[in-house]
Amino acid sequence: MGSIDAQIALLAICALFFLFGTGIWIGMSMIGVSIAVMWLFAPAKPAGDAMATVVFSDLSSWTLTALPLFIWMGEVLFRTAISEEMFRGLAPWMQRLPGRLVHTNIIGCTIFAAVSGSSAATCATIGKMTVPELRRRGYPDAIAIGSLSGAGTLGLLIPPSLIMIVYGVQAEVSIAKLFAAGIIPGVLLAGLMMSYVAGWSLLNPSKIPPADPAMPLTEKLRESSSLIPVVLLILLVLGSIYAGVATATESAAFGVLGSFAIAFWQRRLTLRNFWDSVMGATRLTSMILLILAGASFLKLAMGFTGLPRHLAETIAAMGLTPGMLILVLAVLYIILGCFLDGISMIVLTAAIVLPMIEQAGIDKIWFGIFITIVVEMAQITPPVGFNLFVLQGMTGKSIFWIGKVSLPFFLSMVLCLLLLYFFPGLVSFLPDMMVNAAR
Amino acid sequence: MRSALKTLYEVTGVLGGIFMVLLLVFVLYSVGPGVGLWIEQTFGLPNPTPYVARSADEFAGYAMLASAFLALASTFGRGEHIRVTLFVQRLQGTPRRLAEIWCLALGSLLTGYLAWFSVRLCWQSYEINDLSTGLVATPLWMPQVGMAVGAVVLCIAVVEQLVVVATGGPLMEEPSGEEAAHLER
Repeated sequence: MGSIDAQIALLAICALFFLFGTGIWIGMSMIGVSIAVMWLFAPAKPAGDAMATVVFSDLSSWTLTALPLFIWMGEVLFRTAISEEMFRGLAPWMQRLPGRLVHTNIIGCTIFAAVSGSSAATCATIGKMTVPELRRRGYPDAIAIGSLSGAGTLGLLIPPSLIMIVYGVQAEVSIAKLFAAGIIPGVLLAGLMMSYVAGWSLLNPSKIPPADPAMPLTEKLRESSSLIPVVLLILLVLGSIYAGVATATESAAFGVLGSFAIAFWQRRLTLRNFWDSVMGATRLTSMILLILAGASFLKLAMGFTGLPRHLAETIAAMGLTPGMLILVLAVLYIILGCFLDGISMIVLTAAIVLPMIEQAGIDKIWFGIFITIVVEMAQITPPVGFNLFVLQGMTGKSIFWIGKVSLPFFLSMVLCLLLLYFFPGLVSFLPDMMVNAAR
Repeated sequence: MRSALKTLYEVTGVLGGIFMVLLLVFVLYSVGPGVGLWIEQTFGLPNPTPYVARSADEFAGYAMLASAFLALASTFGRGEHIRVTLFVQRLQGTPRRLAEIWCLALGSLLTGYLAWFSVRLCWQSYEINDLSTGLVATPLWMPQVGMAVGAVVLCIAVVEQLVVVATGGPLMEEPSGEEAAHLER
């Protein structure tokens, strides 16, 4: 591996960012740069045929089929009354906490995250109900919207998670184990966010509106019975994975059926809703798979340059400790996250970063959780972040204002990362308990 | 002409939706035996699904691939494929149009490349009668047809858009914030 080659490979990376910057679709940009790289480094190889073969085999993988199914499940749930029901079920219990109904955002997102694989969908589904309700009662926009934007990102960390599926496929680690590993950090992060809200409310008691009239316990319980369908769905999806009965794909299929059952129960399962959910899921899958197609080709092309191996060796020779490497990568991902979405970020860097991680002896499951949290941060950093887009559409506030009120929740994620770094057992405890994880 | 192309994108999009439903069917079919065994062992009931789900996992993967590729064009038409519009959006008037022409021109070449080699792959598999290695030896050209058709229709959609923008027609629409809820991550 000569250093000239390395320079050309780095030039290819610059070209990629140039194409991204000028507005070329992400998946197509990756195809374009891969063609150039193949032409430079492996002129004897038929680049186009190699591309078609690798795209065909990578994009028809059984493991990856969990992705469209979880997307579909989210599309079905988005069209049910689940948002109203969750608010009704949670609100009576939050009246006594400092911060009162702001916590419906965080707990609502935490629970919904356990049936949803995405951050923006979690944000949109929960916000559909909490944003108007909190505004009507006079909660300040800053804390109401900030907490929703921050807590919505739990959709990625608490399983199921689209990001973890994409990472798991790239890194060749068990998706079931990644899912299990996300549970404790997810609950921890939710706890950190709630603590912030409680602390803020204790410092600013005048800004939190008074509690709603108290409700007798029996009535509270009756209201909470509206949570039962979601809880059953969580048990079905996560229980089947954790018990080792089902793979991620299979539990996703159960989840789709379960969400149909909820929609049917709520009389929302019309033919129109069904087909809209199918087409919504299909187009979203199509969008993600175009990026994955580009990434598969790029990974193949990068392999010919030797850059991943070269960089891994360079890092090793520099004697970076794992902690420093993690720090460098965190900064890199946060910067990338200002401009790119999570999935593109992961697939783009996987070919180069994963060999480094292995070289440095960092556990790939732990790194999966790390990268998921960093992607969560990217969701709420302007100018590009999907939660920001969703909330902009919902509330009419500017992206930068929403980014600003989300900052405390961004810092909760930083704190969470530090805790996970110093106590890696928080990540590895649940996956280690799974002796018989299915595939 | 334009409405015929619109219909083409819609039809392939709907086909993509049908493959999404098929994907679910294949996955459910493949879990059947496992669930049956679980019912038998846990409740001591007779196994309700004592079949072998031959290659259903393979078919699920093919259905996903076909679904995603066939829907590429209709996803493109709605402006839902991801791109970084941060800088392009700052431009107005002619520079903006030139930037869009650059994107669509390069996009046409790249999707053309993808389409060409997807068709070639499918054709070659057909010529040499390439079979999958699963329990059911599927001729590989069958799933590859979905990929080839989807890639070709995407290329047509991008070229059409290029012609529209280059001849002074309206620029591509961007999905609004409300729709971004569905661009889930």
